[in-house]
Amino acid sequence: MTPGRRARVTRAAAALVVIAAGVVGSVALFGYTRDAKASAGPAAVLVPGPVGPPPRRPDGRPAVPARFTGPQGAVGQFVAKCLYSHSGSYDPIVSPRRPGHSHRHDFYGAIDTNASSTAQTLAEQDSTCDKPGDDAAYWQPTLYDHGVAVVPLEAHAYYRAAPGVNPADLKPFPFGLVLIAGNPVAVRPQVGDAAGWTCGVRTKLDTAPPACDQTAPLHLVLTFPDCWDGVHTDTPGHRAQATYSQHGTCPSTQPVHIPQLTLTVTFPIWGLGHDLRLSSGSIYSAHGDFLNAWNPAALAREIDHCLRNKVMCDVASDRERMPPFFTQ
Amino acid sequence: MRKMQCSVVALALVLVAVAVALAGCGSSNQSKTSTRTLNVPADYPTIQAAVDAARPGDLVLVAKGVYHEAVDVSADATKHTNPHDFTIRGVDRNDVILDGQFKLENGIRVLGAAGIVVENMTARNYLSNGFFWTGATRYRGSYLTAYRNGDYGIYGVDSYTGQFDHDYASGSPDAGFYIGACFRCDAVITNVVSEYNGLGYSGTNSGGDLYIVNSEFAYNRAGVVPNSGSYELCYPSRETVVAGNLVHDNNYTKGGGISASLLAQGNGILLAGAVKGLVQHNRIYNHTRAGIALVPFPEADANDVPPPSSAWGEPCSAHHQPGSGVPASQCQKIAIIGPGCVVLWNPMDNKVENNTITASGLVDMGEATIDLTKSGVTTEKLDNCYSGNTYTTSSPTNIEALAPCAGQPTATDWSKNPLDLVSLMTDTPSAPPKTAYRNTPVPAAQQNMPDATTAGAPVFSRPMTVDVAQITTPAKPA
Repeated sequence: MTPGRRARVTRAAAALVVIAAGVVGSVALFGYTRDAKASAGPAAVLVPGPVGPPPRRPDGRPAVPARFTGPQGAVGQFVAKCLYSHSGSYDPIVSPRRPGHSHRHDFYGAIDTNASSTAQTLAEQDSTCDKPGDDAAYWQPTLYDHGVAVVPLEAHAYYRAAPGVNPADLKPFPFGLVLIAGNPVAVRPQVGDAAGWTCGVRTKLDTAPPACDQTAPLHLVLTFPDCWDGVHTDTPGHRAQATYSQHGTCPSTQPVHIPQLTLTVTFPIWGLGHDLRLSSGSIYSAHGDFLNAWNPAALAREIDHCLRNKVMCDVASDRERMPPFFTQ
Repeated sequence: MRKMQCSVVALALVLVAVAVALAGCGSSNQSKTSTRTLNVPADYPTIQAAVDAARPGDLVLVAKGVYHEAVDVSADATKHTNPHDFTIRGVDRNDVILDGQFKLENGIRVLGAAGIVVENMTARNYLSNGFFWTGATRYRGSYLTAYRNGDYGIYGVDSYTGQFDHDYASGSPDAGFYIGACFRCDAVITNVVSEYNGLGYSGTNSGGDLYIVNSEFAYNRAGVVPNSGSYELCYPSRETVVAGNLVHDNNYTKGGGISASLLAQGNGILLAGAVKGLVQHNRIYNHTRAGIALVPFPEADANDVPPPSSAWGEPCSAHHQPGSGVPASQCQKIAIIGPGCVVLWNPMDNKVENNTITASGLVDMGEATIDLTKSGVTTEKLDNCYSGNTYTTSSPTNIEALAPCAGQPTATDWSKNPLDLVSLMTDTPSAPPKTAYRNTPVPAAQQNMPDATTAGAPVFSRPMTVDVAQITTPAKPA
């Protein structure tokens, strides 16, 4: 991140504090409110402004995700494979309608996510995801190698009940829900596994990109909050509406269990000699955004039928990938 | 029997109060087997609507027509449904067509439900699967046609006690037929035809009373491919029986094909990391590579290493979840063919008996491994055996003398004519376009089930019994 950008973010934060009272109404006045006509849930309201600090538990300690490790099949899941769509220096959550007022992002899912996107506009678009009904937008800061933007290969969005959570307790994400994993302003290794790096499908995450092999290239793994406040799709700082469950329990402030979304982004990065950084600044600033624009009926059906029934509806596998041996 | 009980109860209750009797009998019927026929679209406008209304013992009977539906058979908290033990049947296999138009995901998807039978219809043009059972028990798919579906044709995963019979599947880039992630599966695939797929049959990490018998696998990229890998639970593939099948001309290049099918291209029966399999009385011919090959499956990016043979009898639920991937000491980089740490799933302890293999471009029958990690498991120590086969060439040469299924070996030289795995694995065809499956051949009309409109719909309790000893080698078609 350049010094100039950081200054702008700070000013924006100050401005937001001024208008923070009565957030929903204020935002509506600014014209950002878009109702989710297909959803019976809360209105899909975006609250512009910078991302706040990562969530904390009621006792003040960092709230971090519990993650699944190992082969698929131990719990119910559905998986969307979403090809890389496009990149751009905009962020419809942080800086709506202000293209250029963001670090550069790589987008997956809805094919025309831009500065002015809302859940409603996303839902009206085609998607790069292979799962019918998944019109959501997923994005992460662009990775640079020696100053050159790395074009990611694809992302997989895994939806599961978080470890310890009874799938019967899951509710669908409300239309327009904003979720953020990781800390975009971190300059030191982040606490916990909300955002981490690994090679291939390996389960242990590193805080910075490890050296990977071609057969198991670099992945960014983002695990989003799975407890929702039941009211807001977004809040000032984009954090307070959701947090992580602990030992399968959601706190009273965010009591509603929602699926745990884990997004894995595959980069064509392997071997030695890389000089990696993120558009958001330090390599430790890994993070990801999710703006829910799933077709509500399709999302509810997959949660009911796959997660609550504890079955594998989709399997991500390297059966689809390149052959394991590469000719040189 | 159940009806009689209800009548007796009703009669007794009449003596007390007629109104109570009617209410009592009605409510008890809800949980017992009924024999209703739910007609689509006459009684219910969609298959889904009929499925949601079906009770145990019911027959959902679908009239001729093209249905743009993705039907789920699933417990549903929203709809308060808990379906089990009913049949969904088309009146005409070739004219009752579920068509996903390359927009919908699965034709019929059965999730966690027991006793769901699907019969006598076609599913085509789905993004994922034609007919799909996941987490199911007592499942059956009979007289089904599935073609041009984006993953699998007829697909069972993490499902137990099932049967696929008299089915036809073509044009899927993964497998026409698949049964995976189960042990002991207690499942039978019989009298099916699988053509123009990436793999005719594939089963990852499945086996145990699993029979693929008396069927035809032809014109796929590869024919019958039980395989192992740690990306899904329940590894390895174990105790799969492949018997009495016609396996021929699996060299197809025009359709779709996932990477595993490209690696397997041109082989008839390929045990890729499978253990304790039985391959017998199959007729196998016209393959550019091997008729029968027992090879390691090289898993890049593995979650785990193969379990020891002492764990081959454990159920899927016994598998632990490894925490941190594969130790560097247990996988290997292969410098001459590229970077990367690879885990080899070896084919071990398989029996290959009484097959007839002809016209193989590379070799009729063979096996090999590479001892990547210097574990001592070399080709001659895989403990596979070969007896009674009709064949001309083998790798290594004279394989039935080197590794007979009964008695002592009468030859010891394993060095002649080895399979060159490195060349085979690197010499794979280029990946087809992702949409290539959409242009595979449209199947001819397929045989209808007998008496589709009048046959009963009994509860499916278990698959047919397979007496492997009675299975003979099929004749070559004229």
